[in-house]
Amino acid sequence: MTNLENKLITLDPRDESDHGPAVRAPRPHTLDGKTLGLLSNNKPHSEELLQMIAENIKKIYDIKDTVEYNKGSHQWPANPEALKEFADKCDVAIHATAE
Amino acid sequence: MTSPNLTSLQHQFADWEQVQEYYLAANLTDGLPIVPPTETRVQAMLEYSGLAPDQVIGFESIRQKQITAEKVAINAVMAGCRPEYFPVVTSAISACCEPVFNLHASSTSTNGVTVMVLVSGEYAQEIGMNSSTGLMGPSNHANASIGRAVNLVKTNFYGSVPQEMDNSTFGHPGKYTFCFAENLEAGIWPSLAMDKGFDNHSSTVTAVAAYSPLQVSVFGGKDPDAFLLGIAHAMIGLGPSISEVFVALSPEVMKYVDDAGWSRRQVQEFLWEKARLPAKEWISWRRVEHPDRFPDKDQLVGCVADPDRITVFAAGGAAGVYVDVIGSWGNSRPVTRKIEVRS
Repeated sequence: MTNLENKLITLDPRDESDHGPAVRAPRPHTLDGKTLGLLSNNKPHSEELLQMIAENIKKIYDIKDTVEYNKGSHQWPANPEALKEFADKCDVAIHATAE
Repeated sequence: MTSPNLTSLQHQFADWEQVQEYYLAANLTDGLPIVPPTETRVQAMLEYSGLAPDQVIGFESIRQKQITAEKVAINAVMAGCRPEYFPVVTSAISACCEPVFNLHASSTSTNGVTVMVLVSGEYAQEIGMNSSTGLMGPSNHANASIGRAVNLVKTNFYGSVPQEMDNSTFGHPGKYTFCFAENLEAGIWPSLAMDKGFDNHSSTVTAVAAYSPLQVSVFGGKDPDAFLLGIAHAMIGLGPSISEVFVALSPEVMKYVDDAGWSRRQVQEFLWEKARLPAKEWISWRRVEHPDRFPDKDQLVGCVADPDRITVFAAGGAAGVYVDVIGSWGNSRPVTRKIEVRS
């Protein structure tokens, strides 16, 4: 054991690299006039869940349009190019999981 | 405060008990006591392998995690590893960082998945690993601490902490440790290391995102085309279209296969063929996530896609006629690495 002035000194096992704080995308003040993105992870019923949420949002806000994208597998990240194309088409997006 | 050469944050404690209390409270253990990761112990681990503290062992691209030798060594010390085990730990971590392994998803899934560490070759014997009686159970220091080290890296460094990033519904006993060695003496075919393309002097580690092992008994006959059918039925229990299956034959079962003159390839092809069912069967059992992907409901669908995805090897003790079937999760592919030992 390492002793320094009768102290036991140990090392930390965690990742200490500094990736900086996670930054949230700016939130719109209203969804009126916005294009709503629906991002499915391909879990069974995820698209149905997203549609239900979208229908409820449409009852409250004047949604301009909806854009749908299914990333193909819940086990892998979305294709970066396809995800960017999706993001460029919408103002806000909802990502869902379901079973 | 940091140590010379080592850059990790230091903690000071009055005694061993305080160390345990801190690491347990900070969720930096698997719930069991750890060996205090002192600078001396961590340096010994690194020196055995000739690794600099900042040497990158692996980079996991989804979470952008660069895993250094220093951090692997700290966790290996905590797990109780001796320095001579460290080359196995670093090779296993390197394997887990291969994109096809999909460490991120297998570490977060609601499925019960752990990293199985399967060692092949003479290095397993050199460090005293158990490949015989009780090899998947407790008491062997190398098996226990190597598997534990890999899991501690996964939780402490990678962040796959149960009930946080790890959302496994049931968990998995192997999330404490799941590491063993191939039984070379009982094997009748080339070692797994050679089967995976390495030379006969190489030792390897294969990392598998593994489900729980399912043990199958063999009674009343030594004919492979009968008892392997029982193994194929056990594979069906794993479901359709899983990534790979590992089939551990006990020495006595391996002898039956040898006496019957079956090759490894024959066993693989037999199991693959017999572990297929019409899509409609799988669907009726609610084992298919997307039934619409099988327009032909009479199409035969296998537990695995092809015979190459079935790894067959010898393991376990001389007494007992058993086979262990271990599935590889989801779309994660097992990865084999050579164990690099400094001469």
